[in-house]
Amino acid sequence: MSKGCGKLDESGAAEIRSDGTYPAKLNNIIKLFESLPEDERRETLVSYADNAKKQEPRAGEDFNLVDVRKDEECMDTVGVYLHVDENGKAHIRMTLGPEVQTLTRAMTAVLCKGLEGCTPQEILDLPSDFVTRIVGAELVRIRSQTIYYVLTRIKSICKVYLDRERMTQAQVA
Amino acid sequence: MATHPTQYAHPEALVETDWLEKHLEDEGIRIVESNEDVLLYGTGHIPGAVHIDWRADLQDPVIRDYISPEKFAELCSRNGITPDTTCIFYGDKANWWACYALWAFRLFGHEKVKILNGGRDKWKAEGRPMTRDVPKYSKTNYPVSKKRFDKEIRAFADEALAQSKAGKPLIDVRSPGEYKGEITHMPEYPQEGVLRGGHIPGAKSMPWKTATNDDATFKPASELAKIYLDQCGVSPDTDTVVYCRIGERSSHTWFVLTYLLGLDNVRNYDGSWTEWGNKVGAPIEKGA
Repeated sequence: MSKGCGKLDESGAAEIRSDGTYPAKLNNIIKLFESLPEDERRETLVSYADNAKKQEPRAGEDFNLVDVRKDEECMDTVGVYLHVDENGKAHIRMTLGPEVQTLTRAMTAVLCKGLEGCTPQEILDLPSDFVTRIVGAELVRIRSQTIYYVLTRIKSICKVYLDRERMTQAQVA
Repeated sequence: MATHPTQYAHPEALVETDWLEKHLEDEGIRIVESNEDVLLYGTGHIPGAVHIDWRADLQDPVIRDYISPEKFAELCSRNGITPDTTCIFYGDKANWWACYALWAFRLFGHEKVKILNGGRDKWKAEGRPMTRDVPKYSKTNYPVSKKRFDKEIRAFADEALAQSKAGKPLIDVRSPGEYKGEITHMPEYPQEGVLRGGHIPGAKSMPWKTATNDDATFKPASELAKIYLDQCGVSPDTDTVVYCRIGERSSHTWFVLTYLLGLDNVRNYDGSWTEWGNKVGAPIEKGA
């Protein structure tokens, strides 16, 4: 089983985590944020938030699963769109309602970019402790906890995808 | 039946968006943005506005309390504020955090405070100018205030309990579901660590939003009087305590009662439900 995404292994079917914990693209983003002083960290988060719109589905794209809903714990509708290609790699798009907080928008762009090309299982296995390394401890506080929500929703759609795949395989067997 | 006021008690405590746009460069004012969304200021703000973060700037970093008078003086000094500066607060969420920041400024005795009626959303919806340029003001030498006005405008848990036992006006400004104890979080928000649901015995439910119009501006004085004087039993003769979850929504109601209705005996119980709902042995009522 793959341990993460980053470099392709010999078969090309799985990828290897860059540092044993996080996918390579996500790891690069984490390192970038950790290298920044607090004011630049915030500016960079705002830049990521500005780019959240670019993570929306594009014309002509097909998806294996779509999950658009407004949960009780979130201020607005969040849509997650999952496409898994022929190599088993996940490509995630997201839509966010206008009331979604800036920090949550930033995390959306971070995750769509950082998890690009991982398998659904790798995304499901991802620990959430990297969030504070990106956002910084000061911004993880009461009234900003929805930064974890986007990761939860991405994991949720990956789990549904994997459950369905297993059911299909079981039926075939 | 009592005659209700037709004008706000302190109309000077509000500025309208149209007025502010014409006075952006006035000397003697400082526009202060204070939001729930911690990065919102960085996405654009009213030209010349400074950012004051309710958590990082106004609260003590370790214990649950406000900063010291020395830290408040530093905060004002680095934002170019003097005791004579009129601070005009605005922000997201219909000015919850703007009112919270204003209330905190009053805690330290800063008297010249105003709210931008309608807040950030109204300013933006009207297409008024926004910028990402962060202004720089010459540092001032704000004097360290000799006292904090906790006794005058802030209530602690034991005072909220005394208010409850005495049957004096106690207003719960949270949503009806929180008041009834049906939910232990704000609608559309995650859990914030409250163990018990319900309200302080004797508290009247009057959600903060009752005081505002759809565009987040405040309702006219006569309507506010009907809501708070008639329905909540608030009066100039009796002191009143308001509370919510962490003190920001109740700051909004505190502003309404203090500045728009002119009551000078209103205190904000900022420990609010995140303290009361976790406090061992605190009495709780459930239901409507």
